[in-house]
Amino acid sequence: MADSKKPRPAFAPWDRRELPGMFDVEETARRVGHYKWVEMRLFEALGGWVATVPELDVKLRLGTHCYKHAWHADLWNKRLPELREMNTERLTVPPNDEFVTFMDAITEPEGPDQTLEKLVGVYRVLIPHKIAAYTYHLNNTSTITDAPTMRSLRFVLNDEFEDWRDGEMLIQSLITDEADVQRAATHQARCEGLIVKAGGIAGPGSIGSTDVAVPEEVTA
Amino acid sequence: MKKILPPEELARDSRFVRLSMEDRFSDRRSPGGGGSTSGRTGPTKLTPDAPQAPDRARALMHGIFVGEIQALEGAGRTCWDFEVGPHFDEVPFALKLDMARQCWDEARHCEISIKLSEWMGTELGEFAESTFLYEAACNPDPVLRLTGVNRALEGLAIDVFNTMREFGQSAGDPVLEFCEDWMLADEVTHVKMGSDWLRRITEKDPDRRERALEFQRVVDKLFSLGGFRGEDDDSPIRLARKFREMAGFTHEEVDEISDLSKQARAEGEARLAQANAS
Repeated sequence: MADSKKPRPAFAPWDRRELPGMFDVEETARRVGHYKWVEMRLFEALGGWVATVPELDVKLRLGTHCYKHAWHADLWNKRLPELREMNTERLTVPPNDEFVTFMDAITEPEGPDQTLEKLVGVYRVLIPHKIAAYTYHLNNTSTITDAPTMRSLRFVLNDEFEDWRDGEMLIQSLITDEADVQRAATHQARCEGLIVKAGGIAGPGSIGSTDVAVPEEVTA
Repeated sequence: MKKILPPEELARDSRFVRLSMEDRFSDRRSPGGGGSTSGRTGPTKLTPDAPQAPDRARALMHGIFVGEIQALEGAGRTCWDFEVGPHFDEVPFALKLDMARQCWDEARHCEISIKLSEWMGTELGEFAESTFLYEAACNPDPVLRLTGVNRALEGLAIDVFNTMREFGQSAGDPVLEFCEDWMLADEVTHVKMGSDWLRRITEKDPDRRERALEFQRVVDKLFSLGGFRGEDDDSPIRLARKFREMAGFTHEEVDEISDLSKQARAEGEARLAQANAS
């Protein structure tokens, strides 16, 4: 048996976590507040849509997904005070006005004949953008100091992937001819255009920047 | 998307047939309707040996299924219809989270009911749907809405699921018993949510609490269905005292529902006597 008194490293050889991360406490709280805001708007809309959707399987999925996003909102709400934001409502805001316009477009379809638009807006535009922003956050935050946010991000991402798959399969089952293809594409393009203007679910920088500094002699 | 979606706009596929409340209650074949008491020539409790037991159980299960759809829709609309805030027409954040949780639970209940209906040989849409549950979920006061739905109607669901669970036991149907037992657990949770929120939100507003409880009494009496639910030996749906008390009802509150049920039964029998005399 190993000698229990023999010194061992605090970080095991396989534990490669590091201190540095891209987000300080303030920036993390800002992002988390935006996450809570979007999760709230989403679960409210899914709940509201349940009664407006005639397709039974879609109706039941929306009811199930509604809870998951409410739970995400609760996770972010509980994280905010841990990030020194005691008035959680202060940061429960959209990143900018353009994002409000985007969410208005997502929740605009109401009629029983608009199930396709409802699903496309959420599962082909909003949820992929959420997955992107959450993944960026997960991959760039400090793996030691921000472990609680990472844990929540992993739970949330697991739900998002499952829900995205559910939603995408429902969409595929509703698209049966060229006219449906065009309807879906038109609504997707409209919503995608709006979220691009907003910069993503946490505003510009939601998934970082791909710009690189180019040396002057190269550009000259 | 508008706030407060009227019942006539509830979206359904082509299998579903809508029945008005008036038609529902004037139909003698309906429980508590036009004289459900017309069938009270003997015990009407749902027992496996009763000649009509299979069809009555199938009809009841289909009624549970459409009730679950409307409960899902009602909880979903409560997520949408009210903003978070301290004002009269707003609700606490945690209440909305509870309603979202209820959406998930009701969606599962729909799935369970569909599977059970298939198990019992019923097709979706085989029986008509009336929207009485959802109508209670349209109240613009969130406290009245929660009291009407979560305490009155979900309370009725406790009684129904407990009765169906016992029917499953006595009929030797372990699948039915198993499913009803799980749904009963969820309903106790939903009723408790209603009881807790009623007390919390109206803690400093006794008038509003009384209005909410009065709304609950109206709904409770309406859905005692001419004596369909009660504590008599032959009551088709038995008042489930133990589970209601678990869900936050006081002993006196259950007594009150029992009394309302007796009144509803007496009124139903009077209507029947009048109809038979004419």
